Amino acid sequence: MSTPQGGGGSRRPSVVSTGKKPAASKATPGTKATKAPVKTTGGKGQRKRIAPVKVSQGRAWGPIAVLAAVLLVALAIIGYASWYIYQGSITWDERANGIPGIVNFRKTQPNVLERNHQPGSLTYPMSPPVGGNHNQIWQNCMGDVYTAQIANEHAVHSLEHGAVWITYRPDLPADQVEKLASKVRGQEMMLMSPYPGLDAPISLQAWGYQLKVDNASDGRIDEFIKALRVNASLEEGAVCSGGITVTGTTPRDLQTGG
Amino acid sequence: MGESRRRLTLVAVAALAVGVLLGFGVGWLVPRLTAPGDDSAEAGFARDMSSHHAQAVEMALLAYRNGENPGVRQLGYDIATVQQAQIGVMQTWLRDWGLSPTGSRPRMAWMPDGQQSLENGLMPGMATPQQLEQLRNAKGRDFDVLFCQLMLRHHLGGIHMVDGVLSETSDGEVRGLAEGMKAGQTKEVKILQDLLTDLNAKPL
Repeated sequence: MSTPQGGGGSRRPSVVSTGKKPAASKATPGTKATKAPVKTTGGKGQRKRIAPVKVSQGRAWGPIAVLAAVLLVALAIIGYASWYIYQGSITWDERANGIPGIVNFRKTQPNVLERNHQPGSLTYPMSPPVGGNHNQIWQNCMGDVYTAQIANEHAVHSLEHGAVWITYRPDLPADQVEKLASKVRGQEMMLMSPYPGLDAPISLQAWGYQLKVDNASDGRIDEFIKALRVNASLEEGAVCSGGITVTGTTPRDLQTGG
Repeated sequence: MGESRRRLTLVAVAALAVGVLLGFGVGWLVPRLTAPGDDSAEAGFARDMSSHHAQAVEMALLAYRNGENPGVRQLGYDIATVQQAQIGVMQTWLRDWGLSPTGSRPRMAWMPDGQQSLENGLMPGMATPQQLEQLRNAKGRDFDVLFCQLMLRHHLGGIHMVDGVLSETSDGEVRGLAEGMKAGQTKEVKILQDLLTDLNAKPL
């Protein structure tokens, strides 16, 4: 088939050019299908037989590029997903320890974090206390915003249950006090009270953890709550209701009648 | 010929290896990625409903201890035990999903129009600190009436939140518990209304 066409082509150029193309495309399909007609338009059909080889090398880049792109996208998805999962798998204590300025007494002074029930007034090695022996009755921590000082001995029991206790120096501006209260009100496992003599405007406590900040708009406050509220509990499932709601720094001992 | 065949084999082996790795990767990732995320309605519901329930438990235990009407005390026991157990289920979801019990978004943000339904920052039906104080100090019939009034509002607010999550989720576990809550609290709404009638009182 190819020889007659080649000869014909040289004799009658104008007519053959139309006849040639289908013929050439029939000859090439075995090797490469689609681009063959385009390449043969150059003119002399017979010499162009070599051309398809070069074209085939160029063509291979298409699939390779597509494959590479698909792989890249797949890798990106996997990478993002792994990062997303890694983020989610950070444990609460890793999250807490990552907060700048946080003090982790569980690590530095684990021996002071005893958890026996003791009546009467108790002393704590840190102020406000973040753990240690405490009163049998816990301070109600159902989002209670106490406007007067409460007893450490009750509050520490609330911390044991997993509450975050926000304390502030009484000279904290009212708008900041309100800002703190809005994080507490209606949120169980949170309580808040003024704390005269505090060495920072605001101090946050969870069992074994403390963070002191200067301003109610400090972003670390929310980080502290997110990391430690409920999670810091030593008694999983313990609740904040059923506690004492009275204020005053003297602990009220349970009246057992005996 | 031999070289190109070898190359083909190499490519095939590499493709197989990549395919197997991808398969494992996808298999490992999918259950983790399809779990509700930190900002999901499911997570928001689990967190907020836990808080909502916690207050119901507080009021219900007051009713169990201080109620005068035996029906009030019995209902208090029922509500406290059921809702505390449901809190446990919701907290377990959060852990299984790899999420913290405390979210980063404002409460009720998971629900369409949820934040408009807040009253003084409290979720629908929640008793105010003043109402809780009143309830703690109430006695006798006054206690029974106030408890029924507050718990009725609390249940209606809770059912509203349940409807919110049911409109947002297709998660079977979440739907199952939410529908159970709705059925149970709807039944208790009727009981509370009947108790109020018996007590010759009206809802708030």
